[in-house]
Amino acid sequence: MIDNRNARMNSGMQNNCGGGCNDASCQNLKKKLKIVDFSIIDTALYLNAYPNCAEALEHYHRLIGEKEALVAEINEKCGPMTMYGNKSRTEWNWVDGPWPWEADAN
Amino acid sequence: MWIYEKKLEYPVKIKNPNPKLAQVIISQLGGPDGELAASMRYLHQRYSCPYDEVTGILTDVGTEELAHLEMVAAILHQLTRNMSEEEIKNSPFATYFVDHTAGVYPVAASGVPFDMKYVGVKGDMLTDLYEDLAADATIT
Repeated sequence: MIDNRNARMNSGMQNNCGGGCNDASCQNLKKKLKIVDFSIIDTALYLNAYPNCAEALEHYHRLIGEKEALVAEINEKCGPMTMYGNKSRTEWNWVDGPWPWEADAN
Repeated sequence: MWIYEKKLEYPVKIKNPNPKLAQVIISQLGGPDGELAASMRYLHQRYSCPYDEVTGILTDVGTEELAHLEMVAAILHQLTRNMSEEEIKNSPFATYFVDHTAGVYPVAASGVPFDMKYVGVKGDMLTDLYEDLAADATIT
């Protein structure tokens, strides 16, 4: 079976930690992002049903602040979380593995 | 529409392959009450919905079901890594393997490929919400 995945990473192209970064600190940052996103989703779904709940909206904004900080750090240090977050001017890290469905990414 | 975030909504990390389990879980991918059916159902029902709050819920939950679809696919992908010939042959997964090997294909455990017939969209909000209750409240 042809396996050309991570060819760019293995070819020695460098960014902060060598291609799409998946070291322990990046895994830790991404875990924090997953946790805050999970809370945001629940809060947003609640607000869909109760759009006038001031307390929920305040909670939402607090969580969004946390998320934005994490995303900025991850985009900078680990590679883009979305197609819009590729910070490097020399590398297209968006296509770097591991992909979310692989065990290594979880 | 469309932003893809490069992470699963909830982590999936499976140590050991298990095609027997994959054969059952696959209904959550391509079966009548699975995630693909759910996302198609909600995303299409929202167009005829007269209330913003409900349209919002259908949009957000419909796209969330796509995230769930990805998680189930991740489970199936990890359950079918590095299977031995024995493991494949001695499980009901063998029939799926004939046509798809270790690819992830939306099908029910019965072998019936995903069908849009599982989805009801009647253009009436209450009718559509009853359809949602029937599908999402089903215990498989």
